[in-house]
Amino acid sequence: MRGNDFSKIPTHAEDFCHVLHQTYREKKMLKKFALTLAMLICVSTTAMAQKTIVFAVDATWPPMEFLNSDKEIVGYSIDYMTAAAKAAGFTPVFKNVAWDGIFAGLATGKYDAVCSSVSITEKRKKTMDFSTPYFKVRQALIVPRDSNVKSLADLKGQKVGGQIGTTGYFAIKGADGVVAKSYDEVGLAMEDLKVGRIAAVVCDDPVAANYAMDQYKDTLKIATTIETGEVEFYGIAVKKGNKEVLDLVNKGIEAVSKTPYVQELQQKWIGQ
Amino acid sequence: MSKKNVVIEVGDGAAIPDPEDKGLFTAWRISFFGTIAIICYLIIAKPDPYLDIIKFLPDGIMVTFKVTFASIGLALVLGLIAGLGRISKNRFFNLAASTYIEVVRGIPLLVQLFYIYFALGNLIRVPDMVAAIIAMGFCYGAYMGEVFRAGINSIDDGQTEASLSLGFNRSQTMRYVILPQAWRTILPPVGNEFIALLKDTSLVSILAVSDILRRGREFASESFLYFETYTMIALIYLMITLVLSKLLSNMENRLSHYERR
Repeated sequence: MRGNDFSKIPTHAEDFCHVLHQTYREKKMLKKFALTLAMLICVSTTAMAQKTIVFAVDATWPPMEFLNSDKEIVGYSIDYMTAAAKAAGFTPVFKNVAWDGIFAGLATGKYDAVCSSVSITEKRKKTMDFSTPYFKVRQALIVPRDSNVKSLADLKGQKVGGQIGTTGYFAIKGADGVVAKSYDEVGLAMEDLKVGRIAAVVCDDPVAANYAMDQYKDTLKIATTIETGEVEFYGIAVKKGNKEVLDLVNKGIEAVSKTPYVQELQQKWIGQ
Repeated sequence: MSKKNVVIEVGDGAAIPDPEDKGLFTAWRISFFGTIAIICYLIIAKPDPYLDIIKFLPDGIMVTFKVTFASIGLALVLGLIAGLGRISKNRFFNLAASTYIEVVRGIPLLVQLFYIYFALGNLIRVPDMVAAIIAMGFCYGAYMGEVFRAGINSIDDGQTEASLSLGFNRSQTMRYVILPQAWRTILPPVGNEFIALLKDTSLVSILAVSDILRRGREFASESFLYFETYTMIALIYLMITLVLSKLLSNMENRLSHYERR
């Protein structure tokens, strides 16, 4: 339409009105066309009867889930769930949501599930349901490169940071005499560690590896992986009682976990 | 065509809390006692989450007050300098002050907080709370500067002329004649800025400074009681600001004592 505009340059005001009207009508037709198209798509998807599951993702947790330079949500969990969706026959939609409040949104039904490296804990199980585990983690302690701290016990009276509401942060709070400091994103904690406002950061080991061995490899290192008694497992969190979504997700995870694709993903995102 | 002049008057309406209102049910009393009543009711009727939340918050409240008082102190100093700079005849001083105000007022407070917090971190090592205070004070100093300038300008030129003719120099005039009088005009808007600053300190929670909001969020993220926690946080902020606004209006009342006679 843009190319035609020159031929439509009016000489009189009346013509101008006419042209305006015409473009208006064209626009209207275009709108109608778009609407029909949209409806067709809708109908066809319902015909295929694929359920859409909306996953909330806090994309600040590399390499598990993060935004790449094209502003797409990528990472291990995303690939895993996409494969699981293919196997179980549902359409996954990933929605970027801030971690703080991600479970509140789940409870109010803003999305169907949380796929954001959620460790399965007893306390969380009381307010939400979890899928079968799909990844195993430990908590890692990150310190500056020149530090000789070996464990959380060496950090009495010092500030240690973690992301708010994560098992890493709870581990700091549980440690005797350590001042816990909560951050909205783990990246902000790393930044503060880099400039020396805090003495250490605790987070899941794949994330710790990403920061300490890749992004900040000149300044930070992993001191230790903390044995918190039990190993933690990531699961997909769904609203309590939402069996329909849970069954679909479980079906997908079970199918994928038996394939060699898991090793492939491990290679792709985590290395080792 | 006759032109009708439409004038929108921005005058002094009744202040809230209105010192003239002698009735039993003033807006301030309803909100203040309402807030207290709701807090008490929640704690007594449902001590399970609400009492725990209240117990979790006190150190956060202290941090909020610390940040507020320290940054208002810094802002007053910066504001006085900037305000004097704005009316100064010294071209350099004047330009520097005007540029400072222009720049700071053009950047959102949250962006400034992030900027100063992380930029400062790369230059010098300051604790997080100090960085937050510097950022808040730096920003509010610009707003204070405009308040000071307006207050000083509100004093009649005759005062300056009289003072100069009595043999005071310019800085003596400012110090002994203008500022003592301008103080009365400046105080109410400074008080408003103070309350605004107290509310804006909730932004520093984003920098991992453990103020009321941060403490609340920590509580909520662990207990998943988002609604209950934020209800309590809102009520506590409201109670603090209501007390402060009452104090402020009382102070204004006493200061305007001379004008009323």
